[in-house]
Amino acid sequence: MKSEILYPGAFPMARVELGNGEQIKAESGAMVACSPTIDIESKMEGGFLGALSRKFLTGEKFFFQTLKASRGAGEVLLAPTVPGEIVVLELDGVNEYMVQKDGFLAGADGITIDSQMQSMSRGLLGGEGFFILKMSGKGMLLLNSFGAVHKIELKPGQEYIVDNSHLVAWSTTTSYNIEKATSGWVASFTSGEGFVCRFRGPGVVYIQSRNPGGFGAWVRQFIPVTE
Amino acid sequence: MIELQPNALCFGDEFPASGAPCLVHVEGQGLTITFLSDREGVVGHTESVGFSDLTISAGGLDHNQLVASWSGSVEQRTLYLKSPELIRAFRQAAPAHLNRPLEQAAEQVRQVRQRHRFVWGLVGGTVFAVILGLWFGSDVLVELAVNRIPIEWEQKLGESAYREFLAGQDVMKEGIAVDAVKEMTQRLASQVPNNPYRFDVTVVRSDVVNAFALPGGYVVVFTGLMKKAESPEEVAGVLAHELNHVLRRHGLERIIKQLGFVAVVSIVLGNPPGLGGAMKQFGIELMTLKFGRAQETEADTTGLDLLYRAKIHPEGMITFFQRLTEKDEGRVEWLSTHPMSSARADHLKARLAEMPKQQSEPFSFEWTKVRDALGVSSGSAP
Repeated sequence: MKSEILYPGAFPMARVELGNGEQIKAESGAMVACSPTIDIESKMEGGFLGALSRKFLTGEKFFFQTLKASRGAGEVLLAPTVPGEIVVLELDGVNEYMVQKDGFLAGADGITIDSQMQSMSRGLLGGEGFFILKMSGKGMLLLNSFGAVHKIELKPGQEYIVDNSHLVAWSTTTSYNIEKATSGWVASFTSGEGFVCRFRGPGVVYIQSRNPGGFGAWVRQFIPVTE
Repeated sequence: MIELQPNALCFGDEFPASGAPCLVHVEGQGLTITFLSDREGVVGHTESVGFSDLTISAGGLDHNQLVASWSGSVEQRTLYLKSPELIRAFRQAAPAHLNRPLEQAAEQVRQVRQRHRFVWGLVGGTVFAVILGLWFGSDVLVELAVNRIPIEWEQKLGESAYREFLAGQDVMKEGIAVDAVKEMTQRLASQVPNNPYRFDVTVVRSDVVNAFALPGGYVVVFTGLMKKAESPEEVAGVLAHELNHVLRRHGLERIIKQLGFVAVVSIVLGNPPGLGGAMKQFGIELMTLKFGRAQETEADTTGLDLLYRAKIHPEGMITFFQRLTEKDEGRVEWLSTHPMSSARADHLKARLAEMPKQQSEPFSFEWTKVRDALGVSSGSAP
């Protein structure tokens, strides 16, 4: 399985080459085009209950699509819904990533996707909800962001502060605390940051250069009110 | 090429920030770490570290990883162990001086888990308690919600159902029977202190034995019921009962109970007009609304009191209920919405017995003439 990012930047597309018999799972609706040798199936990853919990707990889709090169090698073109970069990660069985609910685009068959409960403070204040996706296993993982993806590399003990709505994915060797952006409560909100995550290394944190919620709020003011 | 299944991540300046996957072996004197040197999976170099050089702590996102760090030959190294087998092996092989930090790390993990469980337990318990409270405290909430609904709105609701119902019925516009029912209602209503309702009574020509009152004070009496009654006191008894369903706002209580807590909350928080739409949506028909047992009992007793205050003989209410129940003949619809039990009758009788005797005042109409007008031959018993 090989992957390549076409048109990197705001409107990228991932091309994944599948060998005969290989398969990849992708977010429902992610497939743009594919070779005629590819079969598209929909699958409830993790069984019915797993899919159900993913749907209701993380807001992810109930079904994933499985793209299988069952009739010979071929290629698949995949794209996310929102404008933004695609990043390719390689999981080797020991490194695991937590991914915010809209961050998953596609993954090799060896990737396991679980919804995992967060602690109360992270769930309430982290902006990702109480359940987030945990990616483990072995193989290629494609994540997508809103805007550009920026990778923050943290050495053991090194800290970095990230606005919670800009998070895409972070390795499970990192840890983080939710805290107010400034020392005072009022200033925390008037500064427009509210809560932030203080990450502590070692590990990698992927962030997105745009905030989907902020963008939504910005767009809303231009939507004509009909009544 | 050797296939190597890594079981840990090693961090250090020379490794990528996401950590270098490696295979850790626990041995007698320390750890042996074999690195995957590059992407092709070729086994790279091996490093060894003695237990004596290690510093131990708990780390990772959920504090469930064992972190071992040491100053390597070149630089500081940090190892993240997650696999339970590996951690177990490590704890078994570790010498005494590591026991304390290991125990501390384990304690830290336990604390995090306990806190996690405690907080979620607390939240779960709170949610459960709130649901339980809503379940058992629902009557209080329903009452709160009902009290917030303005009378005008209740009247609007009742009126629309009333007009809709009457449109398909043979309404008796005037006559002695209509006057009789109006007189009874007026006598009863005049005894209600601070009555916010203006009772609107309609007599409908139908053999169905029924009478009902809609929220807002809209009362319908079927001629079938009047034909069955042997005295005007019996009809007045039914009216007193029905008027009290209105006065006690039983209809609204039922609607709100059926609509559920969302409606209750929205009303308590101040949005009653939304309820009309919600009712249509839920398909609740005012006409088929059944009252609860507690509401029937309340309407019985307050009805009895009202009859007494209006100086109408209350005995008629009890005898009529009983006779209707015993002679279960034909279309006595009133009973289907007002199931009469002997306990109910006994309760009313006991209450009546406690009341001081008083002289009843007769109605201005003659019941025999009313019955004649309704087409009941005076000879035959109803």
